[in-house]
Amino acid sequence: MAPPDDLVARAQAGDQTAFRDLYRQHVGRVYALCLRLTGNSGDAEERTQDVFVRLWDKLRTFRGESAFSSWLHRLVVNVVLNERRTTGRRERRVALAEDPDSIVGAQHAAPLHQSAGLSIDLERAIAELPEGAREVFVLFDIEGYAHAEIAELVGIAEGTSKAQLFRARQLLREKLAG
Amino acid sequence: MNEDELLRAVGRLPRSIEPPRDLWPGIEPRLQRRRHWYWIPLAVAAVLALVVIARSIQTQPAWDVTMLAGRPLLGNTRLAASGRLRVGDWLQTDDSSRALIAIGHIGQVEVKPGTRLQLVAARRDDHRLALARGGIDATVDAMPRLFFVDTPAGTAIDLGCAYTLETDSLGNGRLHVTRGEVEFETGPRSSRVLLGAIIQTRPAIGPGIPYVEDAPAPLARALVAFDFENGGARAARTILALARAQDAMSLWHLLQRVDPTLRAMVYDRLAALVPPPAGVTRSRAIALDSRALEGYWTKIHNIQFRRIVLRGVREIDPRTGTTRRHE
Repeated sequence: MAPPDDLVARAQAGDQTAFRDLYRQHVGRVYALCLRLTGNSGDAEERTQDVFVRLWDKLRTFRGESAFSSWLHRLVVNVVLNERRTTGRRERRVALAEDPDSIVGAQHAAPLHQSAGLSIDLERAIAELPEGAREVFVLFDIEGYAHAEIAELVGIAEGTSKAQLFRARQLLREKLAG
Repeated sequence: MNEDELLRAVGRLPRSIEPPRDLWPGIEPRLQRRRHWYWIPLAVAAVLALVVIARSIQTQPAWDVTMLAGRPLLGNTRLAASGRLRVGDWLQTDDSSRALIAIGHIGQVEVKPGTRLQLVAARRDDHRLALARGGIDATVDAMPRLFFVDTPAGTAIDLGCAYTLETDSLGNGRLHVTRGEVEFETGPRSSRVLLGAIIQTRPAIGPGIPYVEDAPAPLARALVAFDFENGGARAARTILALARAQDAMSLWHLLQRVDPTLRAMVYDRLAALVPPPAGVTRSRAIALDSRALEGYWTKIHNIQFRRIVLRGVREIDPRTGTTRRHE
């Protein structure tokens, strides 16, 4: 496979084969983020597809001022949060809790070693978090965003982001302890 | 589980999770479709742009040109009978050809033999030709400052008039006003030319001092020496000595162009020939106060107008503009 920079350049020029290779390289990261932000594998698949369609349109605007993966990461967050804002799919989380198979990573998680069970439980617990708390937890604790960035991305106050993070951690500790 | 254990567990979460199925088949058709949709508005925009361009070409301002004699050259085409002069187009006449240009709806220009000119602007507020060489007779019936002719020596600005403008191959020119008034300017230097008056123009210098068409030849020569031959104080004194009441227009311009030390002398001669109107004082005129100069100009303008218009009908006193009485 061609080097990532070359793939990006070719895809920017409209080469769909290169774009498909870009998809293969990044789909795992994109899907993981979509899955954790939405808490639902069905939504995550839809958002992942949305992300790559959007990427095809936006790719020309990528100027290489940051790493492509960072730029794509930001695009994923924007696509997922925008979708959530426009459709307000809050009910999904209820369905998610009733359908364990749709929950995160049960079948995709890491290789089965000693910590695998904990990872699966953690993914499931994250997915069951209230939406606001889950988004902040995923962005802060898993993806490494700062509260100021999260506040801007999600459209909340920075203090709210901190409060949601505190709430998320507390809920997760309770779930995993139980 | 405490918070540290939780964060350690979070740190062990996989950064990448493969989706349960290949999502590409659901992406690829959307790329195709989006591409098509992407091009449709572009294609529509392109068609609209072409239509707009085509219409703008059709409606681009152009002036009618009529052949009067010979075969004038309009662009690269010999004019058979009539044509359209568009902005940027050149019209050229040879020794035996002449043409008539309609200046939009405000007047006309007769293009004399041996002339090369270009239509520079054809807007409602800016009707503009560039005269590279040759001569034109312009007749304009419109508000002042709508018709302009650029020449190598400056720009003739119509103030509601008729005039003849000529430029030779060196850029030296001559303007003769036969109706109304024309202003000719180059940068800060300008001359106001009344009907029945003439100015010489030179590239890099601009307009000379106007003189009436019946001015004595020595006076006209002295004016040329003052304007274009560094005649200085000597030429100025000659002008003052030769000037008559009819030449007040020339002295009015001279007042503003002589060395300040000579202004009083020029003013005194002008005032002796044509007494200043009420409100114009010597000190203000010498100081080139604009209101004083305008007041004096109005009187000179009125006298010159009556003198030319009533020529052959009544004898006009060139000092006052009133009918001269013979006792």
